[in-house]
Amino acid sequence: MNHIRLILALLVGKTLIIISRLLGNQGSSFPGKMALRIYPGILSELAAQVKGKIIVVTGTNGKTTTSNMLASIITETGAALIHNQSGANMLSGITTAFIDKSSITGRKQFDCALLETDEANVPLLLREIDPGLLLITNFFSDQLDRFGELDTIINKIKDAVNNREIDLLLNADDPLTAHFQDLSSASRYYFGFAATSYDSYDSRENREGRHCVICGQELEYRRYHYASLGQFTCLGCGSHNPELDFTGHNLVMNPTIELMVDDLEINSPYQGFYNAYNVLAAAAAARMLDINKQHIQRAIANYQPQAGRMETFHINGIPAVLILVKNPAGLNQSITAVIQDQTYKNLFFALNDNAGDGRDISWIWDADMEIIEEEQNRIKHIVCSGLRSGDMALRVKYAGYPVDRLEIKTDLKEAIEHITQLECEKIYLLSTYSALFECRKILLELQKRTAKTPDRIPARG
Amino acid sequence: MADFTIAHMYPHLMNLNGDRGNLLCLKKRLQWYGHQPHIYEVAVGSKLDYHNIDMIFMGSGSEREIKLIYQDLVSRGTDLKEAIENGLPMLFIDTAYQLLGQAYMDAGEKIIDGLGFFKFSTRRAKKRLTGNILLSSSVTGKECTVVGFENHYGCTYFEDENLQPFGRVVKGFGNNGEDGREGFFYKNLIGTCLHGPLLPKNPEIADFFIKAMVTRRGVALESELDDSIENFAREQVVKRKA
Ligand SMILES: [Zn+2]
Repeated sequence: MNHIRLILALLVGKTLIIISRLLGNQGSSFPGKMALRIYPGILSELAAQVKGKIIVVTGTNGKTTTSNMLASIITETGAALIHNQSGANMLSGITTAFIDKSSITGRKQFDCALLETDEANVPLLLREIDPGLLLITNFFSDQLDRFGELDTIINKIKDAVNNREIDLLLNADDPLTAHFQDLSSASRYYFGFAATSYDSYDSRENREGRHCVICGQELEYRRYHYASLGQFTCLGCGSHNPELDFTGHNLVMNPTIELMVDDLEINSPYQGFYNAYNVLAAAAAARMLDINKQHIQRAIANYQPQAGRMETFHINGIPAVLILVKNPAGLNQSITAVIQDQTYKNLFFALNDNAGDGRDISWIWDADMEIIEEEQNRIKHIVCSGLRSGDMALRVKYAGYPVDRLEIKTDLKEAIEHITQLECEKIYLLSTYSALFECRKILLELQKRTAKTPDRIPARG
Repeated sequence: MADFTIAHMYPHLMNLNGDRGNLLCLKKRLQWYGHQPHIYEVAVGSKLDYHNIDMIFMGSGSEREIKLIYQDLVSRGTDLKEAIENGLPMLFIDTAYQLLGQAYMDAGEKIIDGLGFFKFSTRRAKKRLTGNILLSSSVTGKECTVVGFENHYGCTYFEDENLQPFGRVVKGFGNNGEDGREGFFYKNLIGTCLHGPLLPKNPEIADFFIKAMVTRRGVALESELDDSIENFAREQVVKRKA
């Protein structure tokens, strides 16, 4: 009986996938949602067809980039992989990914599954499937209105992995991973950075995780790599970073990333410290899967930034870099990357408060935008757009940026066209999730248009 | 030019959802008015000299953080109450505001005693009260629209009908989603569940505190600030349907 329901669910799921593709939707969760309704056991049954490891990637920041990098490494080895799309990372989206790759009988086998999911969804997912590896990139305070408190989520993940045979790959530089230190059966592996030349000794950044999860005392940091990630010791109970199994060292960002992961040299076209963490996490996971070094090096070197993850467009010959921001730590890191670039630039923000962004936009005040004031000479103009363009402009104003170079244009298209007409050497566009794809469309269009009609004719003589 | 010092209570612990934006706002506006702001960070165990401060600000925290500051806050109770009565400007956000009342209860069971300064108490709601909120407030002596974002589990009820709310709810939940009141107002103290953060988008309220500070010091505010971006941001929230 269950077999018939499975086949029916697969059939419906596959049909809906075809329809949603025809409608132009890629990683949709709707087919999986319907299939789960027909046969709730479908996900666990299809997951049982994975012969090798199931890997789950979660965490607040970087899970999409990390899992996409890891997917390209695994694919580089020639393995058959199931991997869900970043926009569809709840149970239904993951089910869609399985249905898509499965045969109609549900008996096709796979080498490996790589599943990216939100932290809050991990316990639910672990009820359906039995992963061999759980990679947690980091924990930052993110969209509390959607998830509830961070501690509760971490404790639920902990309960879900307790008494299971599972390898955890954790960020040793994140004090909140100490929550996992007393697990009974799971094995823990740690990745982290040795001292780098980009470290700071004073972090005005993110508040979360500055206190010891064991005794509640304030942590003393010897150095910060970024946000609350760094080398710390608890003054109360003496707890400190766990020993590293995978060490990132010799980091150079010029501005693309070069680093060593133990004895493995890696280059990536990505920029920024947060992406260095993604490279390190992906390489560490690949090493745990026994993937050979050449495959890791080649896949990461060839892995290009995706939509909104520092994708570059060229408008009138000027580079325009689009960056997705969704929380204070991400905004801090993006602003830092912008500031580290010495060019004269224009800065654009698109702030929306739709469900996909989080309704609460208060988080922009938790980011350290104050560095904009110090660097105001190299930021020529700032344009704020989106449904909450006013709030963004206020944040920029109170960060100390001169208001005579600050503009609000709520309409995205008008705003982007306007900023590309203001003189500069480079444009950085920071956007929240629900405005990202429209920004991208507008930029592609402008890129196409200006490529045909170059309006900058060099003066003669 | 005069110097003004704002005491920031437990900055690393009580600081959820952009609360520190309120402080950034006061700091900048004081500068734009031609004065010199100072922020004095008050950690657990820090000394606080009430003669040398012009205002107190305390943001909100989760249960974990409240546990960490609770004893310290209670030990400051007598001095704090005296300062409130003396008209020291104070802004308390969300859980910090709720701690000024009698108690915080979970489904009728008392979890913690509040400071007990005022006759109101807080219960845990079944569902988080969250969303954009609109108020009408007259704390400045003139009716004005206040906007923000609320995101709280606490439902606060006044036990004394003479207590003054910070504002009347136009849209949103407010103290409890039932009686149309939001926050609490007494002398120069405002307690409110509005994040958003409150002050940058509501310059009248920011200036309510600044005027109270300068008046107490016998200094005058000479200039006027251009609040067109502030007002634009507020209008955007007023017009937002969600
Ligand atoms: Zn400790």
